[in-house]
Amino acid sequence: MNTPILQAKNLTKYFGGLRAVGRVSFDVEPLGVTSIIGPNGAGKTTLFNLLSGLYVPDEGQLLMQGDDVTQLDPVERLSRGMARSFQITNLFFDLTVEQNLLLASQKLESWSKLFSATHKSQLAIQRAQELLEIFQLMAKKEVLAGALSHGEQRRLEIAVTMALRPQILLLDEPTQGMSQGDTHETSQLIAELGKSVTILLIEHDVELVMDLSKQVVVMAQGEKIAQGSPQDVRSNPVVQTAYFGDTV
Amino acid sequence: MDKYQQKAVRMMEWLMLIAAIILVVIGKLTGDTFFLRLATEALIFGGLALSVDLLLGIVGLLSLGQALYFGFGAYLSALILRDWMPSFWLCIVVVAISSALLGWITSFIALRSKGVYFALISFGLAQVFAKSVYNTRSLGASDGMVGVPVIQIPFPFITLNLGDAITFFVITFIFMAGIYFTLKYFLYTPLGRIWNGVRSNESRLPYLGYNTQVPKRIAFVLAAVVAAVSGALYPMLRGFVSPELMYFSVSGNAVITVVLGGVGTLIGALFGSSLLMILKSVIGTLTLHHHIVIGLLFVIIVIFAPKGIVGMLSAKLKVKGAQ
Repeated sequence: MNTPILQAKNLTKYFGGLRAVGRVSFDVEPLGVTSIIGPNGAGKTTLFNLLSGLYVPDEGQLLMQGDDVTQLDPVERLSRGMARSFQITNLFFDLTVEQNLLLASQKLESWSKLFSATHKSQLAIQRAQELLEIFQLMAKKEVLAGALSHGEQRRLEIAVTMALRPQILLLDEPTQGMSQGDTHETSQLIAELGKSVTILLIEHDVELVMDLSKQVVVMAQGEKIAQGSPQDVRSNPVVQTAYFGDTV
Repeated sequence: MDKYQQKAVRMMEWLMLIAAIILVVIGKLTGDTFFLRLATEALIFGGLALSVDLLLGIVGLLSLGQALYFGFGAYLSALILRDWMPSFWLCIVVVAISSALLGWITSFIALRSKGVYFALISFGLAQVFAKSVYNTRSLGASDGMVGVPVIQIPFPFITLNLGDAITFFVITFIFMAGIYFTLKYFLYTPLGRIWNGVRSNESRLPYLGYNTQVPKRIAFVLAAVVAAVSGALYPMLRGFVSPELMYFSVSGNAVITVVLGGVGTLIGALFGSSLLMILKSVIGTLTLHHHIVIGLLFVIIVIFAPKGIVGMLSAKLKVKGAQ
């Protein structure tokens, strides 16, 4: 078994008296897709916010490649190789597609280039071009992000998070609101990305999760109720009751 | 900025240059320096508007107290020129360094907040400084400071006399062009791109690895320096300074100027300032109530041309380009 790239240990988060996430523990192995599923209100997005550094847990610990990153903010986590996308598309809507990608990529450059003309940022320019090609956005590079279709915006959202070549990519419902065709294309893209990056995915589309994932974590009412391969999870009676329903 | 906006900006830059040349030629031929002095003042306040546009149009921070730095520069300049040494270069260097320090210190207060709270804090800071100056006898209190001498700028082969209206106008024009092109350069650097990111969606930037406080602080300090060195020219032109230079009316006028010219375009700030000065002058000769007329004009422009003159021009170019 590979050494886990990410280890959540008893992560707990309270909002006032409400326990949104309670003592959740799981390991994520390198590469491939690990998914977190659960019904609405299960605490998936809160857990994502704990993993990405938006929230600090009230209890528990998060280890990344063995290092404790529990108290690190998103900037520090990104510098260690953890990037995230958002459930609600979160882009720079009044910048063009290319500007979005250049802004995300220019962190690859040394800080000394901060005051140099942008055309000297060759690393950023090259990375933006790569991403435009990988995510099939080349034809739209001059278009404002706010003017893209929903499916294109979701693709750009993932492209932006990939700019710094993260080791772990947290994707929060990347296919939300997409057409069937766009969903299919995006799932292929995620599968492809999973060959070189560890992907942690929150997704409502259960079929997509089962197709893509090598491991699935199931949550309900803020707690982890199961973890295992898609087949294991499907056949788990607790999961069937809590998530799929008794009849499945 | 799309290609039509860029084209509109270039056209405005040429227009400003041509207008400046025409003014100098007319001044030289007729000997009438009234409009040259007016244009010089417009450029000086254009510098203040440039600093507002950097904050508002590029970084997305609405400052309602930018007159603080303008007035600070003006007072410090008056003090240096009158009581220390009538040296242009010394004055500009000391004002630039001091205002950078002041901007850096006040940024820790102002940048604690965002949006309307930032606007109110910047307004409050300017009020505190203005009232402090107003109540300081050694700075002339409510009367301000008078008696700033006419200064000369020595160069290796020539000495320029700022008492000459044409010379002062040309120096101010070059000075403001220098500030304008420096700021424009910043827009095309990675730092400028981060500023755009802050304006567009600040909360996303930490997930791209950016601490947003640093680029915001750089912009804030830079805006303070731009406003202050512009203000430093004011006592050289008028020979006096007064606490009114720090008042809200000055900060508010700068915001109006930027909106009139086109937010986020930089050239709009300089053009808007010139236009506002012309409007004040022309309407002022027709009625004492020129503020009412200008206020109404501002309302009309905001409703019918919310992107200002540059926006209006670029929209026309876009229509023309589509035909």
